[in-house]
Amino acid sequence: MNAKGMFVDTSICTGCKACQVACKEWNGLTGEPSHFQKKAGYPYTVASNFSGRSYDNTQNLSATDWRHVRFIEQFSEDRSSGRWLFASDSCKHCNNAGCLNACPVQAIVRTDMGNVFVKQEVCIGCKYCIPSCPYGVISFSEETGTVHKCTLCNDRIHNGLGTACAKACPTGSITFGDVPELRKKADARLAQLKGLGFAQANIYGYNEAGGLNVFYLFMDRPEIYGQPEQPVVPQDRLHVSSGLTVAAAIAVAVGAAIAFRERGMKNEEKKSSKV
Amino acid sequence: MALESQAPHWEWYYIAMYFFIGGVSAGAYFIGSLIELLGYEKHRDVSKAAYTIAFPLICITPVLLIADLGRPERFWHLFFSNGPNAPYANHTSPLSVGTWALLVYSGMAFLSFLNVLVEDGRLASPALKKAHELFSRIPHRVYAAIGSFFGFFVAGYTGVLLNTTARPLWASMDPWIGSLFIVSGASTGAAAVALVMERRRILSADAARSLQAFEQPVMIAELGIIVAMLALAGRYAAPLVTGLYGILFLGGAVVLGILVPLGRQLTRGMLPAEGSSGVALTSALVLAGSAFLRIALVQAGQR
Repeated sequence: MNAKGMFVDTSICTGCKACQVACKEWNGLTGEPSHFQKKAGYPYTVASNFSGRSYDNTQNLSATDWRHVRFIEQFSEDRSSGRWLFASDSCKHCNNAGCLNACPVQAIVRTDMGNVFVKQEVCIGCKYCIPSCPYGVISFSEETGTVHKCTLCNDRIHNGLGTACAKACPTGSITFGDVPELRKKADARLAQLKGLGFAQANIYGYNEAGGLNVFYLFMDRPEIYGQPEQPVVPQDRLHVSSGLTVAAAIAVAVGAAIAFRERGMKNEEKKSSKV
Repeated sequence: MALESQAPHWEWYYIAMYFFIGGVSAGAYFIGSLIELLGYEKHRDVSKAAYTIAFPLICITPVLLIADLGRPERFWHLFFSNGPNAPYANHTSPLSVGTWALLVYSGMAFLSFLNVLVEDGRLASPALKKAHELFSRIPHRVYAAIGSFFGFFVAGYTGVLLNTTARPLWASMDPWIGSLFIVSGASTGAAAVALVMERRRILSADAARSLQAFEQPVMIAELGIIVAMLALAGRYAAPLVTGLYGILFLGGAVVLGILVPLGRQLTRGMLPAEGSSGVALTSALVLAGSAFLRIALVQAGQR
């Protein structure tokens, strides 16, 4: 079966956040607890995540925000000129997934549709997958004691439906489908944009982390959108790091053999010379 | 380089302390077991002291590790997959392989510990005596060899675990943290052995000299690795050299934990004849410095 994924065409995203809402609705996700604080005089917690400087309301992905429409608001000081860029971000369902590689208990698995899924009943909450994701996607929930992230709507896609966010997207910025088909669509759109003079437009996710099943068309460098230019899957470094550690261990063992033998032999010599 | 990676929010009093205590235990054990393996009978007392330290310390570590889990009651998933119901290890995860290494190492440390108790005639429990008789059919050197290998593993894998993440500080220091933890484990192991022997008043001049001869080049190597790591990390090293963690790392780990003990050893020697409190102080500084090193490195990487 072809891997399923999503193509996010940021050139037609309007920043409406319908995808964020649909994701919350379908997956039954609460408000992000860290965004709500107790405030004197109020019997309930009050949202504190409004910066007053941005229309971006969640600012990052979290255990309860599996989708995040990133607002890139670039304006001149007097606000006479500027541009808006939007990108709906989520788990990229990498083909070489750092979180999955790091999971010690098989709680993070890849399904037959290519999506990376966290088994909530298996996760022990060791949190090692969190720094292992080069995109900072997977997050820990104090409430469940486990990690959470986008599942690519695992329940929906295994029942013949697309993802909730793609379904809700009013401009077609997010499309769900077979990855090879989506790539064709992306290539065509990129060619069209280049033809219109958008020289900076680029596709992000064909080669990164073994290929991303959820990939993007950006109108500027990936860095502008908060994505690493060259994401490194941490486990790619495992062999060199382990090798050097083994070499250090051997050196220490040799050091111990010399340190403890040398003294012993000198004493033997002393003894024998006395005799 | 990762721009967007998230911190795992590991607590210093669980994870960094595990790295420290596990390092001391494993460092002491591989010193003890190497002496036994190489047949240096002269240093049997050093080896015994090392085994006496290694096992009790490693008993603390599972408590720390399990306490940091979000779902502590599921810790057994680390060993036994509840999918296909079979023993499970993920060879691309240092955490998974390290957990198994810790299990094997603890077993070997326990056997070596029992041996010391029997040798000293301090083993009172009949059940343990029987167990000891049973496994004594296996030559001591066999499990000393296995324990030595896994001791090094326990001391070093925690560094590889940090290196193979996307956190800028830890990733930028790749591939050196594993080696740093190996040499730091070695020096703290030696310091712990010296401290315990000195407290029990069984530290001979010969043992002290050998421990010192082992410790000095190891501490110099540690300094070299730290310099290499900082140079390699460049601007990503900022969280480690500024603020509270900067004080802990540069002041606590490097100056108090390496430079001062090294200076004391080079100028005064670590000989009991020259004042036993000197050995105790030098060893305590090395141990404290190593704890600061791990706290600073683990916490700064999450900043």
